Amino acid sequence: MSVIQIAQVYKIYDADKIPVKALNGIDLNILAGEFTAIVGPSGSGKTTLLNIIGGLDRPSAGHVQIGEVDVDALSDGRLIDFRRDHIGFVFQSYNLIPVLTALENVEFVMLLQKRGRQERRQRAIELLKAVGLEDKMGKRPSELSGGQQQRVAVARALASKPAFILADEPTANLDSAAASNLLDIMAKLNREEGITFVFSTHDQRVIDRARRVVTLVDGAIASDMIKSDPVV
Amino acid sequence: MLLILAWRNIWRNPTRSLVVLGAIGMGIWAALFMTGFATGMVRGYIEGNIATVVAHIQIHHPEYEQEKEAKFSIPGVPTLLGAMEKDAGVKAWSARTLAGGMISSAKASRGVTIKGIVPGKEALTSKIKENITEGAYFESGRKFQILLGSKLAGKLKVGLRNKVVLTFQDMEGNITTGAFRISGLFTSNNSVFDETQVFVLQEDLAGLLVGGMEGFPVPVHEIAIMCADPGNVSVVQQQILKRFPGVAVKSYREIAPELELYERQINFVSLVYLVIVMLALVFGIINTMLMSVLERYRELGMLMAIGMNKARIFGMIVLETLLLTIAGAPLGVAAGALTIHYFSINPLDLSAFADSLNQYGLGTRIYFAMNPYVYSQTTALLILTAFVSALYPALRAIRLKPVEAIRKI
Repeated sequence: MSVIQIAQVYKIYDADKIPVKALNGIDLNILAGEFTAIVGPSGSGKTTLLNIIGGLDRPSAGHVQIGEVDVDALSDGRLIDFRRDHIGFVFQSYNLIPVLTALENVEFVMLLQKRGRQERRQRAIELLKAVGLEDKMGKRPSELSGGQQQRVAVARALASKPAFILADEPTANLDSAAASNLLDIMAKLNREEGITFVFSTHDQRVIDRARRVVTLVDGAIASDMIKSDPVV
Repeated sequence: MLLILAWRNIWRNPTRSLVVLGAIGMGIWAALFMTGFATGMVRGYIEGNIATVVAHIQIHHPEYEQEKEAKFSIPGVPTLLGAMEKDAGVKAWSARTLAGGMISSAKASRGVTIKGIVPGKEALTSKIKENITEGAYFESGRKFQILLGSKLAGKLKVGLRNKVVLTFQDMEGNITTGAFRISGLFTSNNSVFDETQVFVLQEDLAGLLVGGMEGFPVPVHEIAIMCADPGNVSVVQQQILKRFPGVAVKSYREIAPELELYERQINFVSLVYLVIVMLALVFGIINTMLMSVLERYRELGMLMAIGMNKARIFGMIVLETLLLTIAGAPLGVAAGALTIHYFSINPLDLSAFADSLNQYGLGTRIYFAMNPYVYSQTTALLILTAFVSALYPALRAIRLKPVEAIRKI
């Protein structure tokens, strides 16, 4: 079953009156349960593609469908609610709320979904346990290492029970051990819970662990490879 | 959790928030201090005028106010005074015999209003006895004594025990004179009053007014009344009017309209002080909240990315502003209330400006006062200030585009 369907997506930036094609006719279909890495050199359009998939940006032309929903047709307000309920985000620089504890950060998305306090608390605890942070629940981001913060971000991304998780360079700021630990957790969630992950990355460690690698060059898909033997 | 988030956001930069809290506290304190001072000053003026000059209510012959002639004495005085004695709303009264005339010493002459009083009754009604600064408030057993304002005595170049001559028209319109010995000098907060009013015994003045008219009752031109409850003046006035329709009964608001004007003005003045302070605070708070929003641009973008809609972002910024503003308020209100309480017991001494103040009938010792509603007015204005201050930063916050905000380093 397709979670993400992208057809003939173009993104043209009109910087200084000189049009720049960031995406040049992308067609992509991502199925439920995939562990996909979108790779490519800087400026190839990875982040732009991820932003468009995540509903943070709109394409100049083309069609984006998430599940059964035509994202292009959603108003800005509806798009925010759609992101809240269907997409989990993991950012390169963690982007946790600094004044909330790890537990509160995970709970926050569920608060936006207007879920009950009891349910929020219970699910946040389960998710933090799943990412191995049961002993850090009361800590604020400033009291956690980079790897721990990114694991909180993963737990937060999962909190809303999204259709898939978009991770923009999730290991870029992590050392080897923390990156490996994070990838282990995400691979486990993908394998055991069937959660769909889409990464944009430069990191060979992520590329090695991905089952599908989509390579972008100059805003177009140069290759789309499904591996039979990913490193797990 | 939004409340917790908003509260914690305020304390991300404690120094900045404390500076704003301090400014809010100081601003409110200053506004309350000024209001307490102005209210105390005006109340002092009004109360001083009531106690010294006009009383709460005055009764006259209906034509006396226009003509001010001795013949227009109040009719049916014994019945009226009997009713005053029984009226629980009346705290004290003084029946005065009045005459307009001239006071002369060997050196100078002045126009004055001569008030013939019964000392015991007058002392309960006005502050004349309290205002005696030299000599005595009439000496028992002596006739033809007079009380003068110190300033008037200075202008006439007379002192205690000196004689002055009063010249005025009697009941028949004849010019009559009487020599009076100064038994006391008074000083009130009203220099005009001190220079234009003199007090003599009622029986002495009545004797001169009535002259040879044997058996004529003591003419009374004015009954000054102090009410038991100052808030009840209109009720007492209406009751007297109802019972005695043949006399003119006026409250201090009608006799001295400027007093009512001041009463009303002080409410407006306190609002003006508050609005000025709040306007100054608006800019400080907007600046702080705008800095706070711009510093969190990326974080706000992230919040929008993960599904926090614009209404909630807007609400969060408003809530932060409201909390920041309201957190500073108790400090200012408490400091203001304590200051006003202190100065309501220990008056602010402005003796250095006594001459100028007395020219305007103002006292030199200012007992601070405050209408209780000013505190609720302050709170309401502060909440309004917080909302107004929050608008621009909150609008800036919701105008951001998450994809651009997240890219910002």
